Amino acid sequence: MSDAFPFQIPERLPIRIEPCPIVEAIFEARFVGLEPWATMPGLLFAQIREKYPEQKTLPVAQVPEELRRQDPALIHLPLIQFLSGRFLIQLGPRVVSLVTKPNTYPGWKVIEQELGWLLERLRTAGFIGETERLSARYIDFFDGDVFKALRLGLQVNGQPLKGLQTDLTTVLRRGALTIRLNVTNGAIVATKDGPKPGSVLDMDAWYGPMEADLFGNGLARFGEAHQVIKDLFFGLLTPENLASLNPVYE
Amino acid sequence: MTALFYQSLPASFSLVEALREPAAVAAVRRTAPDELAREELLLRKLGPRGWGRVHHFRNYYASDWGENGRVLSPKALDAFFRFVEEAQFPAGGPSVFLTDRGGIELCWEDREGRPVQIEFTGTGAEFYQAATEEEGVVAFDSLAQLARRLSA
Repeated sequence: MSDAFPFQIPERLPIRIEPCPIVEAIFEARFVGLEPWATMPGLLFAQIREKYPEQKTLPVAQVPEELRRQDPALIHLPLIQFLSGRFLIQLGPRVVSLVTKPNTYPGWKVIEQELGWLLERLRTAGFIGETERLSARYIDFFDGDVFKALRLGLQVNGQPLKGLQTDLTTVLRRGALTIRLNVTNGAIVATKDGPKPGSVLDMDAWYGPMEADLFGNGLARFGEAHQVIKDLFFGLLTPENLASLNPVYE
Repeated sequence: MTALFYQSLPASFSLVEALREPAAVAAVRRTAPDELAREELLLRKLGPRGWGRVHHFRNYYASDWGENGRVLSPKALDAFFRFVEEAQFPAGGPSVFLTDRGGIELCWEDREGRPVQIEFTGTGAEFYQAATEEEGVVAFDSLAQLARRLSA
């Protein structure tokens, strides 16, 4: 697999765009647990209940543990959520994540502060052993066909494929980070006004076990992954599309 | 694929669920980058049995297997793959074991039939080579060098 990063990153990056396309940002740590799953939610809840008083069990929790553990598609899914006004925390036997509330991205500074707080609480809870993977994932939604606004597309016989539903996934490398980029122009997002068709840009950037240590370099790694996703996002947009998003620079 | 976001669930959750169409659940899944290359590497160097054992260690061992056994360490597994990529094993390939502390161990005999052992752990690798009566511990960044030495 090529290590080349094929997108040119603009020299100046905006600090804000309007309208903000971010539906959700997820900061996830996969880990080896030091405690049985049955005790983990309680250990975490005891640390976070003042800020995250509500909890919700997710449907996959109904799947028997043996099946969840043996299915690679299920093993890293969260089983329970803890909710606050601005964020939610998701927990599974091998995963914990901090997730922004849909369509209310609070900005990196606020996220960084919450991540720092959460890492301290997780350390105190004491059920996380070795780190397997640290990632930042941003899911953006755009009205219409986003491929018209990107420097990325699909070609047939050297001609751009236009007007058809297209899903595109590619894996990029940047240093020790692996980035999975998924773009689709056939998405439906649930909004307050009902379902809305459009496009999704889904960027997931992660460090593997050798580069990640949640309680060592975790916060810095999340920051680096966030920065690479930001670089990629603005590297993907055409200048015309960026201008239409009313960028604000420092 | 059509991605659906449900108001009650975060996209990170529902997107994954949306990918799980019936056919995908049964037979097809999206692999992690490098996963296919690593599977191929295991088959080539450890053979079908070795591949099967590693698959078993990764997917079927929960915490407290045996007597207080630990699950396979992700760092140990990554180190194991890096080593196997560089190492040359005799015909028949090495045997592979999961250790109590969540490490993964390779054992084989050199050309003179003397044992070689190496255990990958969450912090490095411990090895023993009977031919030279040598044993030691190496860090992750010395694995390629060790693989070449033990392969000789």
